[in-house]
Amino acid sequence: MRFLVAIKDTSKESKNILQIAVKIASGFGADISVIFVGKKSRDIIASEVDLARKSLAEWNIYHPGLEVLEWAYQSLKELNFLPENEIEFKPENLVEDKNRVRMVLPYTSGQKIRLILREGQLLEELKKELDFREYELIMVGNPKSNRNIHQIVQFLDSSIFIIKNFDPSWNYKILLCVDDSNSTKRAVMFGAQISKHFHAEVNVITVSKTKRFGKGYRNASRWAGKYLNLQKVPHNVNMITGKPTDTFVKQAGSDHIIVMGKAKGNEFFKYFKGSKPIHTAQKAECPILIVQ
Amino acid sequence: MGSKTIRALLFWVQQKRWLLLILFVGLTMYWLPYPESISAQGYRTFIICVMVVALIITEPVPLPAVALLIAILEVAFRITDPTGAAKSFMGDSVFFIMGSLMMAVAIVHQGLDTRLALGIIELTGNKVRNIVFGFTAISAILSSFVGEHTVVAMMLPVGLSLIRNMPKGKKIPNLTALILFSIAYGSTIGSIGTPSGGARNAIMIEYWRTFTDTTLTYTQWIVMAYPVVLIGIASASILLMFAFKPEYKIMDTAVRKLRVQVAKRGRIAGNEILSIIIFSITFLCWVFLNEKIGMGIIAIGGAFLYMATGLIEWKQVSKETNWGVILLFAGAISLGTHMKLTGTAVWLGESVILATGGLMEQFELFRNFIVIIMTTVMSNIMSSSGTIAVLGPIVLNMGGDPLFMGMSAAIASAFGYFSAVAAPACMIIYSSGLVKVTDFLKAGWRLGLASIVTLLIITQFYWPYVKWLTNFQ
Repeated sequence: MRFLVAIKDTSKESKNILQIAVKIASGFGADISVIFVGKKSRDIIASEVDLARKSLAEWNIYHPGLEVLEWAYQSLKELNFLPENEIEFKPENLVEDKNRVRMVLPYTSGQKIRLILREGQLLEELKKELDFREYELIMVGNPKSNRNIHQIVQFLDSSIFIIKNFDPSWNYKILLCVDDSNSTKRAVMFGAQISKHFHAEVNVITVSKTKRFGKGYRNASRWAGKYLNLQKVPHNVNMITGKPTDTFVKQAGSDHIIVMGKAKGNEFFKYFKGSKPIHTAQKAECPILIVQ
Repeated sequence: MGSKTIRALLFWVQQKRWLLLILFVGLTMYWLPYPESISAQGYRTFIICVMVVALIITEPVPLPAVALLIAILEVAFRITDPTGAAKSFMGDSVFFIMGSLMMAVAIVHQGLDTRLALGIIELTGNKVRNIVFGFTAISAILSSFVGEHTVVAMMLPVGLSLIRNMPKGKKIPNLTALILFSIAYGSTIGSIGTPSGGARNAIMIEYWRTFTDTTLTYTQWIVMAYPVVLIGIASASILLMFAFKPEYKIMDTAVRKLRVQVAKRGRIAGNEILSIIIFSITFLCWVFLNEKIGMGIIAIGGAFLYMATGLIEWKQVSKETNWGVILLFAGAISLGTHMKLTGTAVWLGESVILATGGLMEQFELFRNFIVIIMTTVMSNIMSSSGTIAVLGPIVLNMGGDPLFMGMSAAIASAFGYFSAVAAPACMIIYSSGLVKVTDFLKAGWRLGLASIVTLLIITQFYWPYVKWLTNFQ
């Protein structure tokens, strides 16, 4: 499996993102690619900026994005995600391909981590990266606006983990939101795996707007319970009546990690009206994983 | 349609929303009735102008594509025939921009930055105040001749090395900003000093030739613009010290370390000397031969010498020269030419005069003020050279002395101190990641205000007395 982790700086938030990414990647035995998307110069002066960068590189002063990647690299080292043998972060090992710069880490066995530098808008560059290589999960920090969250969830063709307000010192529980969408089963599997690694209790909830729960909802809830039993994951199953998004957000509070499947349905409708996962991601106060 | 296809389509529409909107507005304007005061061709040229400005600001398509669109629309809107469009794309100023960009690549690759570092240290010593003045002055003087981005590319490593050599432990955001801004603002200020300082100057020279059948020589430009540069150097180094109070007053350790770093590079090499000689020849040709053979031919002559002597390979030149920008300016100049031929420039100029209720005609100072403000605002949004390419034909038709109007616009287009996007120098220091957007405002408003006042004073009390030295007398 391949996970893509987007960081924007060397802040504590980015450190927390790396920490949770490492935990989850270890749980799935996945490779991590860390991506930094820097601001792109305007076309009209892009080559002048490139010329200055080349001149700076001759004085061993590199792209500021590389400093962020080096910091990420050192952080991953501290988190024991890298093999024991000494690997050095060398800007000379940069490889440029298809508008992205990649750091070659020559001694990493099986290419467990990759460091990627891109320039442009986050969404567009993540999409390009997805076109370049397939990733099962993309992890990002809290996007600046609800519109960004909407676009990230709708347009990135992968599972998305939006890491909002993550505090590594907390014991998070998993809120598994189950319904009749196609991705629910995969969400349950993801949730079970994460729960095992975090030693977290799982709350499975199915929310219906009316008191009558459709067959699809009941089956999904039953299947989730069975699967978690099989996986020996401690859990409880609830069926609640209410507005789904508000109920998910309320139940999750700030001490859960929400796990839910991507919504089915018309893409035009989702673009203009949103969907349950999109609205939940916008309103939630805690990390949320939307599984495709 | 599958959901994947719909998603891709929606994403494309979202990414290209500005392009779609601009095309929609352009086509709607085309079908709308046009004012009686302008010809059909003039009105269509105006539509292209609107579309081009919007496309440059929003960047939904690569800039070279905007240049291609200019040619396509000129023919599609029946403003000119294909041969006319093709001919209007090439001129001496396009050669000049091409040659200057190619020479910049060649100069940056010679390692002259080390010599510069040594020169600055010897001149300024280790006091922060002197270093800031030294960086501002040297950047300004050099960028007057070799172009601002070339100077920033050479000066930035020196400045950043000094910052990195400072003792660790204490954070130095103000000192960092001070050094970087002195390089960026110094280069921007200097770029107005001579025609070779920036593409916008060459474009204005071309517009004068097109609109008034006369233009400035290299030395005449210096006579007109250099006082602004000298006052700018002094005010920038003082105002920057107010905007960013440095954490240290002396950079003793940093200067010593830089000296050691520079000493490792050894004595000046043959290629560096040859590079200086070629540039000096080019400069002398600009000064003495520009009226006879044009600045563009001299610039590409300089680029030819760099390649002929083996100082740079064509492969490197072709890879690092911004051909897209050359094409864009060629397109913009073509548009400017058709603005003149179709009467769009006159119509727009008169519209601005009307909009100000005749105040412009009564008060010359007010006219200059409007030109300076218009250019400053637009260059902070759109970039300095792009601004002159679009605004040049209009300001030359706003009444008043075309020399003063053009010169005011060309100089004010360098006042892009408020944003990171206006000038290459500002974008380059911003891309270092060490200065914030707010820093541009913090320092920019002071320098912007000082520059506007300086330019207004120069237009009133200096240019009228030196005009007799120019071809515009």
